[in-house]
Amino acid sequence: VSAGAASGALVLVVDDDPDILDAICDILEGEGYRVARARHGVEALEALGRERPSLILLDLMMPVMDGLAFAQALRDRETGGGIPIVVISADGNPQKAASVGARGFLAKPFDIEALLAQVASITAAA
Amino acid sequence: VGLLYLWLYSRRSGVERVNSVSEQRVIEPPPDHPPSETPTDPDLRSGFLGFVAHEMRNPLSTALWSAELLARLAPEDRGGARGEKLSGMCLRALQRLRILVEDHFLAERLDVGGIPLRPENVPLRDVLDAIAAKARGGAPPVDLSGVAPDVAAWGDRGLIERVLDAAVAMAGRGDARVTVAASLEDGRVSLRVAGAEPAPEALAVPRKGTPSDQTGRALALHMAVRACAALDGSLTVKDGAYVMSLPAGPQGAEGP
Repeated sequence: VSAGAASGALVLVVDDDPDILDAICDILEGEGYRVARARHGVEALEALGRERPSLILLDLMMPVMDGLAFAQALRDRETGGGIPIVVISADGNPQKAASVGARGFLAKPFDIEALLAQVASITAAA
Repeated sequence: VGLLYLWLYSRRSGVERVNSVSEQRVIEPPPDHPPSETPTDPDLRSGFLGFVAHEMRNPLSTALWSAELLARLAPEDRGGARGEKLSGMCLRALQRLRILVEDHFLAERLDVGGIPLRPENVPLRDVLDAIAAKARGGAPPVDLSGVAPDVAAWGDRGLIERVLDAAVAMAGRGDARVTVAASLEDGRVSLRVAGAEPAPEALAVPRKGTPSDQTGRALALHMAVRACAALDGSLTVKDGAYVMSLPAGPQGAEGP
């Protein structure tokens, strides 16, 4: 169990695909993390109003508000500033992750261990 | 020449099959297929393939992760609630992936004229009854009262089934009530499938950059446009409905 998981670090998972959302939350909860979930950027901003997560796992292509617009909105908010983002995308283009200032990029379908390693590394440092 | 070809073709071993599309005749690339709709331009093609990859990677991810989580469970836990949830998740993802793969490769093969077809008289009500009978969750039943039992199209049954299945699925999005009506005119049968409002540019070549389709039907219309063209027909969007025009079969008209 990583330091982040042991301390019950909160991870906000943002993805419009309900099964992807379920699977990632299942993986993280199984490791001891707390999770909040959102189906698009607007829901993610609402979630940020309730509790500040240690990390945001962010899909890019979503309805209502996509990942790029969410990241911009996050930068514009004082409360959201500094929360690390890891982009999780089926796009396969890491340049887009760089464009939102993400700390990491995971191309779907990524390995569960790769996800856990990134989450552990970032939440432990948070 | 046609009969000779059919004879020679039937003598070939290892005849290709694609799902239920039967073989007797190799089609040429559809003559009325507008060149602009075929994603051959490198940028358009790249954007299209990026879209396909994106659509497939999401269910592939879910299938892989849920299977791995299932494998990590103790054998005695696999039959429990979490095991059932994971196996259901895996199955849904694979079913979604299957639809995408079938639609993608059928469309690709139609684009290169690589699908052998066997035209026959196809009673449309029979095909639609079978589609309507498929479980659609809590969705309302498909209204087929506008399709007379003797209306038939002339074409490959497997391809017609795929086109109608796609149209009914797309019209039924969001559990919308689907109504189908058929009419005959000048040796052609016109089918109107109404329900959920078609998206703007619903029949355009899909491009990378749109959110995932949760039903696996992201390529359904892309495939159906090509299938209709191969059937010497067309698929259009008109007055908020999907409209297919196909050659009428002998039962419903004079026949081809």
